Amino acid sequence: MTLETDNEWSEKRRLILRDTLTFLSLTLITAVLFAVTLFLFRSFAFHREELAERWSARGREALASGRPDQAIVALRTALSYAPGDRTYELLLAQSLADAGHTEEAYNYFLGLWETQPGDGLINLRLARLTASKKDMQSAINYYRGAIYGTWEGDGALRRREVRLELARYLIAHHDLSNARTELLVAGGNAPDDVGLILTLAPLLEQAGAPTDALNYYKKVLARDPDNRTALEAAGRLEYEFGNFEESYRLFEHAEREHTEGGLDSTKQTSPSTVMMDNAARILALAPQRSLPAKERAARILKARDIAKKRFEACNAKATAASEMSSPLQTLAASWASKEATASLIELLKDPSRQDAAMKLIYNTEEQTEQVCGAPTGDDALLLLLAKSPKMMEQ
Amino acid sequence: MDERAVIAETPATRQEVSTEGRIARIAPDREERVFLLLSIFIGVISGLLVVSFRMAIEWLSVLLLGSAPSPHQPRLIIIPALAGLVIAVLTRFVFPNVRGSGINQTKAALYIHNGYISFRTVIGKFLLSALAIGSGYSLGPEDPSLQIGAGVASLVSRRFGMSKEKLRIFAPIGAAAGLAAAFNAPISAILFVIEEVIGQWSAAVLGSIVLAAVASVVVARSFWGPEPMFRIPTVTLRDSRELLAYAVLGIVGGFASLLFARALSYLRAALRRQPAWSQMLQPAVAGLLVGGIGYFGFTQVMGAGYEAIDQAMHSQFAWKMLLVLALLKIIATTLSFSSGTPGGMFAPTLFIGAMLGAAVGSFEKLYFPHLTGSIGSYALVGMGVLFAAFLRAPLTSVFMVLEVSGNYSIVLPVILANTIAYLISRGLQPIPIFEELTRQDGLYLPSMEELREESNLRLEDAMKPVTVPVLEGSQTIADAAATLANYKDHGSAHEILVHCGDGLWYAAKKEELEALFSTAGADSFEEPTIGSTELRGVTLEERLGDERTPILFPDLPLSSALPHFHRWPLLPITNRAIRGSLEGVVSLEDVLNRYQQGAHNH
Repeated sequence: MTLETDNEWSEKRRLILRDTLTFLSLTLITAVLFAVTLFLFRSFAFHREELAERWSARGREALASGRPDQAIVALRTALSYAPGDRTYELLLAQSLADAGHTEEAYNYFLGLWETQPGDGLINLRLARLTASKKDMQSAINYYRGAIYGTWEGDGALRRREVRLELARYLIAHHDLSNARTELLVAGGNAPDDVGLILTLAPLLEQAGAPTDALNYYKKVLARDPDNRTALEAAGRLEYEFGNFEESYRLFEHAEREHTEGGLDSTKQTSPSTVMMDNAARILALAPQRSLPAKERAARILKARDIAKKRFEACNAKATAASEMSSPLQTLAASWASKEATASLIELLKDPSRQDAAMKLIYNTEEQTEQVCGAPTGDDALLLLLAKSPKMMEQ
Repeated sequence: MDERAVIAETPATRQEVSTEGRIARIAPDREERVFLLLSIFIGVISGLLVVSFRMAIEWLSVLLLGSAPSPHQPRLIIIPALAGLVIAVLTRFVFPNVRGSGINQTKAALYIHNGYISFRTVIGKFLLSALAIGSGYSLGPEDPSLQIGAGVASLVSRRFGMSKEKLRIFAPIGAAAGLAAAFNAPISAILFVIEEVIGQWSAAVLGSIVLAAVASVVVARSFWGPEPMFRIPTVTLRDSRELLAYAVLGIVGGFASLLFARALSYLRAALRRQPAWSQMLQPAVAGLLVGGIGYFGFTQVMGAGYEAIDQAMHSQFAWKMLLVLALLKIIATTLSFSSGTPGGMFAPTLFIGAMLGAAVGSFEKLYFPHLTGSIGSYALVGMGVLFAAFLRAPLTSVFMVLEVSGNYSIVLPVILANTIAYLISRGLQPIPIFEELTRQDGLYLPSMEELREESNLRLEDAMKPVTVPVLEGSQTIADAAATLANYKDHGSAHEILVHCGDGLWYAAKKEELEALFSTAGADSFEEPTIGSTELRGVTLEERLGDERTPILFPDLPLSSALPHFHRWPLLPITNRAIRGSLEGVVSLEDVLNRYQQGAHNH
C-alpha cells in the first residue's frame, strides 16, 4: 500500500514536472513565434509602405499632369497597400472628380465625410460636386460645413476663401441677398488688407450692394489713396449714384496716377474716361443750386435750349411717322407755355420759374427717351441729371 | 483521395490510451486546470500563424502578380497556371489532406479522428493556400485559417497528453481562434464554430472558445490594427419602405446562392470522377481560366477580392458591372474550388454578396432616388445574405454584419434579407453545400442544420395517465395493506406509487410491498392479519427509507428518464408549479415505444 502511494506520488511529481516543462516550452515557442512574426511583419509593413508611397507618387504625378484616369489606378493601388490613408483617399476622390466620375467621386467623398463630417476640405469638395450636380441646397449646406469645419494650416484664410466661393455661387444663382450677407461677414472677419477688400468690393457690386461696395473702395482709398483700381471703381460708383463731382475727382485722381506711374499717357476711350468726360461735362452743364444765381439761370437757359431742340427733333420725327403720342402732345403744350420762353431776367427774379423750367427740361428728356429712344450728347447728360435729383440739390 | 487521406490521419495508439488512464488516475483534475490556460495559448499561436498566413498571401501576390495587377498582363494567366501545377504535385505527393476549404476537414477531425489534425496538414494548408490565393485563385483565407487554428489546437493538446474527449473539444477551440483572427470578428467566429462545426451550444467548450477567439483577435489586432476588414459606410434606415428593396436583395441573394451551390456541387463531383492524371492538371487549368478572366479585364475576381468589396461598398462600380463581377466570381470560385485547390469560400461568398447587394442598391438609387439607403449598406447586407444562404449559417450571418458594421440600425434589413435568402436556398437546395461536399468525399458527418432543427422528444410525449394504485406514505403498514386490498384490479397491478410526506414519490414493485407487508405481519394484500404490533404501527414511508424516485417534469428530454429504469419500475412525472402533483407516469416500455414511433415518423 505504502509502496503504491509512493509510486503514485513520484508519478505525480514527474507529471507536474513534465507539465511545467511543456508549458515553459510552449511559452518559449510562442515567444519565438511572436518575435519571428513581428520581424516579418515589420519588414512586410515597410515594404507595403514603400509600395504605397511609390504608387501614390505616381498618382500625384498623373493628377498634376492632367491624367486623372491613370491617377485613379495608381492611387487605388496605393490605398490597397495603405488602406485608410487619408491623403491618398482625398487624392483618389479628387482624381475621380477630375476624371469626370462625378457620382463615384461624390460617393467617395461622402464616405470620407461620414467618418469626418467636420472636415473643411471634404465639405468643400462635396459642395463643388453637389453644385455640379445642380443640387443647390446641398451645395450650400456643404459650403457652410466647409466654412465652419476644421482645416489644416491657415484655417481662417481657407474659410474666407470658401465663403467667397459660396458668395460667387449664390450670385451665380441670383440669391443676391444671401450672397451680400456672406460677403459682409467675410469682410467683417477679414484683416484690413487692400487686396482682399478689392476682391470683396466687386463681388458686393455683383451681389446688388453698390453702397457697400463703395464703402469698401473708400476703405481702400483711406489706406492707399492712390490705388488706381479703387479710384476708378469708386469714381464709377459715385457716377452711378449721381455724385458727379466726386466721381470726376476720383477719375481725375486715377488718371493722374496713371500718368505719374509712367504708364501710357495717351488718352484711351475706356468706360472710365467716358464717365470722367461725362462727369466733367455734367459739372459744366448742371444748374446746381450752389452756383451763383446768374450763372445758374444762364445754365438753365442753355439746358432749355438743348431740351427744346431735342423735343422739336423728336416731335418732327413722330409727326413724320404720324405717331403723335399723348406725352408729346402734353410736352408740346408745355413748350407753348410761358415757362418755355422765360428770359434770364425773369428767371433771376423768380426762382420758382427756374424750378419750373428745369422740370420742363427733365420731362422733355424723359418723355422723348420713351418716344424717340435713348438720347446722346448733352441730352443724355441732361437725362442723367434728371435721374439724379441729389446732384441738383447741391 | 480526400477520404483515404483523411482516414489515414491515425489518432491515439494503445500506449497513449494507457498513459491517458494513468494520468487520469493520479491527477484527475489536471485536464480541467490546464484547459483554459491551453485555450489562451492556442488563441495566441493561432493568431500569430494567421497573421503570418495573411502576410504570406500578400507577399506572394506582390511577388507573383506584381504590385498592381492590371488587365492584359500575360503573367495573370501564366502564374496561376504554373502555381496550379505546383499545388497539384504537392497536394498529391506531400500534403494529401489540404484539399478543400478546411471546414469539413475540421469537422471530420472532430467527429471521426478524435480531434486529430497532423502538423503536416497545418503546414501544407498554410503553404498551399497562401500560394493559391497569392497567385490569384478565387479563394479566401478564412476557412484555411480555421483549419490552421484547429491544427494548432490539436498539436498543442496532444503534446499535453490530453484525454481523447478533450482532444476532440480542442479542435473547435482552435478553429474559432483561427477564424476570429482571419476575420477580425470574434463573435462571428465563435457563432460560426458553434453553428457549423460543433452544431450545439456546449457549456464545456464555450468558455474556452471565447478565450481562444479573444486571444487570437488581440494578437491579430496588435499587428493589423483595430480597423475592420472593410471601411464601413454609415448605415441608416430612414424609410421603412426601403425594407422592400432589402427583401428583393434577399430574393436575389437566395437564387444566386442556389446557382453558386449547384455549380459547385456539379462541377466538383464531375471533376472528381475524372482519371487521376487529369486531376493533376485540374488546378492548372482552373488557374488558366481564372487568370483569363483577370487578363480580359476583371482582375477584381482574382484572389480574395477584399479591395473590390471595399470599392463596391463605396459605390465605385455601376450596377451592371457589379452584376458581371458577381457572376464572374461565381464562375472563378467554382473553377478554383472544384479543381481541388486549397482555399476557402468565405471571402468569395462575401464578394458575391457585396456585389449583388451593391447592384441592388445602385439600381434602387437610379430608379427610386427618394429612398435614402446608401449603396454601402446594401453591399453589407448582401454579404450577410450570401453568408446565410450559401454557407447556411443564418445566426452567424446576422451577427457578422452587426459586428463588421458596428451599427445596430442595420439589424432589421439584415434579418429580413437573410431570412428570405436562407428560406429560398433551403427550400430549393435541401442539402447544404458543406454536407454535399462531405458526401462527395464519402464522409458522413452530422448535418448541423438537422442537428439545429432536430425535434427532441420529451417526457410528455411518452407520459401515460396514472392507472396504478397510489398509497399515502403517512399510512401505517396495516392501513396501507388494507387500502391496497380495497383497490379495484389491484391483483393485476405490478407497480404501486407511494406519495411521501415530503411531496416526493416512491415507485414500488408489487413484490417489494408484499415483502414489506409480510415482514410487518400483513401477510398479503388479500388478507391483512395482525402481526407484530410494533411494526404494524410504523408508517409506510418510514419503512421505505429515504430513497425517492427522481423528480421529473413533462418538458424534460425523453432520454433523461432512461438512466433511472434500472432502479425504478415506473417514474412519476410531476408538475413544475405544484410540488409532488402528479401529471402522469412513464415506464421503460412507454419510452421505448415512443422512440420507435419517433424513428418511424422520421
